[in-house]
Amino acid sequence: MQIYLPIAEVSVNVAVLLGLGGGVGFLSGLFGVGGGFLMTPLLIFIGIPPAVAVATEANQVVAASVSGALAHWRRRNVDVKMGLVLLAGGFVGSSLGVWLFTLLRGIGQIDFVISVAYVVFLGIIGVLMVAESVRAWQRQRNPAAPRRKLHQHYWVHGLPLKMRFRASKLYISALLPFSIGLFVGVLAAIMGVGGGFVMVPAMIYLLGMPTSIVVGTSLFQIVFVTANVTLLQAINNQTVDIILALFLLIGGVIGAQIGARFSARLRGEQLRILLGLIVLAVCVRVAWGLVASPDDLFALGVPGGRE
Amino acid sequence: MNPARLTAALFALLLWAAPPAPVLAADRLTVDLSSDEVAITTGFTGTELLLFGVKDGPGDVVVVLLGPNRDAVVRRRERVAGVWVNGESVVFRGVPAYYHVASTRPIESIAPPEILAANRIAAGTLDLAANTQLPAAKRAPFRDGLIRNKTRQGLFGYHPGGVTVQGERLFRTTAVFPANVPTGPYRVNVYLFDRGKLLARQETTLIVRKHGLGASVFNFAHRQSILYGVIAIVVAVAAGWLAGVVFRS
Repeated sequence: MQIYLPIAEVSVNVAVLLGLGGGVGFLSGLFGVGGGFLMTPLLIFIGIPPAVAVATEANQVVAASVSGALAHWRRRNVDVKMGLVLLAGGFVGSSLGVWLFTLLRGIGQIDFVISVAYVVFLGIIGVLMVAESVRAWQRQRNPAAPRRKLHQHYWVHGLPLKMRFRASKLYISALLPFSIGLFVGVLAAIMGVGGGFVMVPAMIYLLGMPTSIVVGTSLFQIVFVTANVTLLQAINNQTVDIILALFLLIGGVIGAQIGARFSARLRGEQLRILLGLIVLAVCVRVAWGLVASPDDLFALGVPGGRE
Repeated sequence: MNPARLTAALFALLLWAAPPAPVLAADRLTVDLSSDEVAITTGFTGTELLLFGVKDGPGDVVVVLLGPNRDAVVRRRERVAGVWVNGESVVFRGVPAYYHVASTRPIESIAPPEILAANRIAAGTLDLAANTQLPAAKRAPFRDGLIRNKTRQGLFGYHPGGVTVQGERLFRTTAVFPANVPTGPYRVNVYLFDRGKLLARQETTLIVRKHGLGASVFNFAHRQSILYGVIAIVVAVAAGWLAGVVFRS
């Protein structure tokens, strides 16, 4: 059954949308990741205009992270103070990001910037994931290998505006989480992601937060940042397709539940290698789109960034 | 003199001043469409309309469908440091968003080029104004690129032999509207030619519009974008919360 998406202005198969939602939802349930970084490129591959894919995916990530954030909230796994500082940066960053997005769309470079952002971040994250998992796997087999220090001190700990974060047991400059929030906010707006895949490692390795509250705090602020992106994209670009978001949601919710059940049966390190390889595969596919010679040297654009 | 009488008088004057009519007599050509509306509904995957008509004798028929005029941006892809980016662009003003030509025979054998151009009958002769300082020779590839892209999307097309004639007088053709058909008022121009001369011309219109839920969503998103954004967020939060509640129990 085909459905005409009113904002994307294309006709797509409902089964494809439900399948995409379900498949990415399954992976996100399996690995405990948001899935936006896989969904946005896949939407673009099936022919959704990139601007619509990014804005709509931000809307879907709101839904995907609400239930997770609530679950962590009930278990008190959220450092609210840290979350609010990250969020302050996130609001500034995502507003900046949507402004940049509108500007780039007007000069016809948004598709290129989205692709480059994906290649860079998927490449880095994919390589880190695979490398880290392989190392951890080897460590399990060979317990004598040297272990990483638990807590490290960098130059960033010398910054001003120090603040105490009780839940995270940290006394650090507020500028640090603010800038992380800002950076991830820009990414969220341009790539249509929650940004958990950057936020979580940054919180663990840069801030030194305890891993138990990292995911909850990250989800807490992702809900608000992606909501901000959704609102600003709807106002500035009219690119949020509610119908598309709904179909992805239905598939995503079911897929995530099945994935979460499967994850209990599989081993952690192998799972992470698998996710790393999936991330790298998407990265290669996006990169191929950048370097492969186009069928036609001339392409149609959107006049003045708006229709 | 009241306005109605003045109008009537002017009309009489016009009729009197008009050249002895038969040159472009509309009654030599009668056309109709199977529907004067294309409704883009939720299940829309493109559609076809049947155009049929009667002509009063021998001659070739050319049918031109023109969508609403829009601006079109054509960008040239350029390779920079190994990757393809959008380079130079040209904006064409007043490009028909949809443009299909169907005829009984290849159009170049029906009428001379200047008559075709004067009636906007061949895609190659569309008078597309561009906002560029580029000389005509450099602009041409952008123009060709525009026509090629539009053709690939099914929005431009040329179908020689697409108009079939039965018994000298009846003719018919189908107009294909793809799923991505632009909305707005469309013009359908039908021409009757005989031995290179334009005998008659008939114009009719049709409208392509979004219909039902899709139309409401689109209009809402564009007219009340703040409220639309808020609703999108509320729907997402509600769905996420509901999913959590349902699967927890």
